[in-house]
Amino acid sequence: MATNRFLCEICGKGFQRDQNLQLHRRGHNLPWKLKQRTSKEPRKRVYVCPERTCVHHHPSRALGDLTGIKKHFCRKHGEKKWKCEKCEKRYAVQSDWKVHLKTCGTREYKCDCGTVFSRRDSFITHRAFCDALAEETARVAAATNMNNISISNNNISYHFIGTNPLGPATPQHFSPIFKSISTVDQPIDPTNRRPSLWPHQSTLVHESVGSIGTVSSGSAYNDPIPCLNPSPSPSDQYQLNWVFGNKNGTVPSLFSIQTPSASTSATALLQKAAQIGATSSDQAFLGSLGYKCSNNQGKDGNKFCGLYGTTPEMSIHGSDLESSAVTDLSTINQFQMYPSKRQNIQSEDGGGGGQTRDFLGVGNGIQVQPICHPSSVNGWI
Amino acid sequence: MDTLFRLVNLQQQHYQQQSDQSNSSRTSSSSKSSTQQNQPHHAQLLLETAKAFADKNSGRVKELVWMLNELGSPYGDTDQKIAFYFLQALFSRMTDSVSPWTTFGHVACNGAIMDAFEGETKLHIIDISNTYCTQWPTLLEALATRTDETEHLRLTTVVAGGGEAVVQKVMREIGQRMEKFARLMGVPFTFNVIHHTSDLSNLNLSELDVKDDETLAVNCVGALHAARRRDSVVSMFRSLRPRIVTVVEEEADLNFGSDGFARTCNERLMLERAAGRAVVDLVACPSDDSAERREPAARWSRRMHGGGFSPVAFSDEVSDDVRALLRRYREGWSMAQCSDSAGIFLSWKDQAVVWASAWRP
Repeated sequence: MATNRFLCEICGKGFQRDQNLQLHRRGHNLPWKLKQRTSKEPRKRVYVCPERTCVHHHPSRALGDLTGIKKHFCRKHGEKKWKCEKCEKRYAVQSDWKVHLKTCGTREYKCDCGTVFSRRDSFITHRAFCDALAEETARVAAATNMNNISISNNNISYHFIGTNPLGPATPQHFSPIFKSISTVDQPIDPTNRRPSLWPHQSTLVHESVGSIGTVSSGSAYNDPIPCLNPSPSPSDQYQLNWVFGNKNGTVPSLFSIQTPSASTSATALLQKAAQIGATSSDQAFLGSLGYKCSNNQGKDGNKFCGLYGTTPEMSIHGSDLESSAVTDLSTINQFQMYPSKRQNIQSEDGGGGGQTRDFLGVGNGIQVQPICHPSSVNGWI
Repeated sequence: MDTLFRLVNLQQQHYQQQSDQSNSSRTSSSSKSSTQQNQPHHAQLLLETAKAFADKNSGRVKELVWMLNELGSPYGDTDQKIAFYFLQALFSRMTDSVSPWTTFGHVACNGAIMDAFEGETKLHIIDISNTYCTQWPTLLEALATRTDETEHLRLTTVVAGGGEAVVQKVMREIGQRMEKFARLMGVPFTFNVIHHTSDLSNLNLSELDVKDDETLAVNCVGALHAARRRDSVVSMFRSLRPRIVTVVEEEADLNFGSDGFARTCNERLMLERAAGRAVVDLVACPSDDSAERREPAARWSRRMHGGGFSPVAFSDEVSDDVRALLRRYREGWSMAQCSDSAGIFLSWKDQAVVWASAWRP
């Protein structure tokens, strides 16, 4: 077990990395400082999709992290053979499907105003037009203490029309939006040892993928979840959590301690947005905001990433974070760790020229057949 | 109803001001009650309708909606226009929960737009619709949660018709909420409104301010049938070089009568009654239908082909989403591929009622 040597002076919580402690400290309203993670150069986007017809095949559209591109590949080009019976959603990754099954049909969405929805899309539409949104923005903006997010849990009673389409009888047992930030909906095991994106076939991955590396791939992914909220939890519901961190735990705490001042409102609301009926894939994206892949400073024997001639950066897969930063200038300075994604794209000249690899270890501008066809990729799952 | 309440409040304030100005001798203590008394019929009606709806008092709602429909008009004075818009919005809000009429088109179009925008980051949607921007929150959410990149979305809404003052008020409300919601979603977002009063084909393209580095989508829900020179409108869309054009229209597979009234209007009502809209049994159809003529999907398709567009099929995922949507409503709704034209139909008991399609140049 890795040592948690960075301790919070307020609550004693331990963290493996100083950065996580700093973010945690913000939750206590303590002064904090986040250092720039990698040195001067912007994160390189060097992972391309092996599928030639894909928009991400071209170096100019490369993604910045290996896991992201693998996930993308699977989900976009893999065969979606896992299907939910209730809602017809289909998944290429079995674990996505399993995760979805747990929440499909069980979820209820509750607005600040008290209205409950069983349908996500009607909830979202309602939310956008609900007066409670306006109220809440005003309130949260006024709050300096992040813990005041709990204000939102007050049911603002609005006379609301066209409310619960299912009638009053529907039980509501799950309100993702309004859990307080310290609770975690789905307990997640932060010490997951899964070394690959496809947990059931990890060895197969290593064999098939050859030069990608074996042991080192483990180290790339197995960075023990740099959870911002490392409360050990019993059951591991999500197969991908080791990649994306403690999903529900990470997302709320990340968002909630995001901003000190004026954009408190934006990110507080963003936190809720993050919880809006999140499906597993959504959570995966959002969860990836929880800094994964940390220890690899590029210097070490992170051979896996070294193969790609790049320093693996933190994945900021969830664009939400940066978008909100972009829209509020005052926060930009604080996000020192996050060079703007869009800047990255524009300043890239062909994705780091010559260093582009697709995640199967081939590349360098060579047109090659992907090692596996989508259907066989799926065989790994 | 929230936005609508606000609208009503705006109107109340308006009248409050008016009454203050004209009755400066009145004491302020009585101003509240006097506002109530001075309130013109419309505002009172709106409030009562909203309350009745909230109370689920369907009998009362029916009465009031009937009255509103009589009094409201897009061509009248400000009161009448507000009443009209209110009724429209109320109508769509009410029916959304019992009928997938509008949501069908939204889900299909948003799906096609998301697919077309894949990998792009500077997005611009030109929206010419009659659904008060209710289509966009789910798209914003999708942009926020289902994409790999940071997209910047510009939404330019073209509002056809209506009085200047009313459109300003309504769209400002809507715009503010869209912007707030986009912030909530974390999507960089810009909202613009173009109020266009003449035929759609006369739209001044420079007003749309389409930029070279943008990826453009044109979204047209229930708006094409209002245009007189339809082929010109299609050409105009083509000249914008959009990545995708999404079109939703109510399906009319009968000829309309010589009096110009759209039969589908009444058909729609019949169908909606049959579909079990328990709340309101409208006597008259929303009046914007009365002057305009609908065409069947096959004819719209021909126009689009003629204008230089080819159909884009909805992806499997989008089709699944639509079917999943329909499963949440009563039995009887289904989705069907169009046999003699592009796109898909929303059908009620195998009768096509709404057509949704996607096109590219």
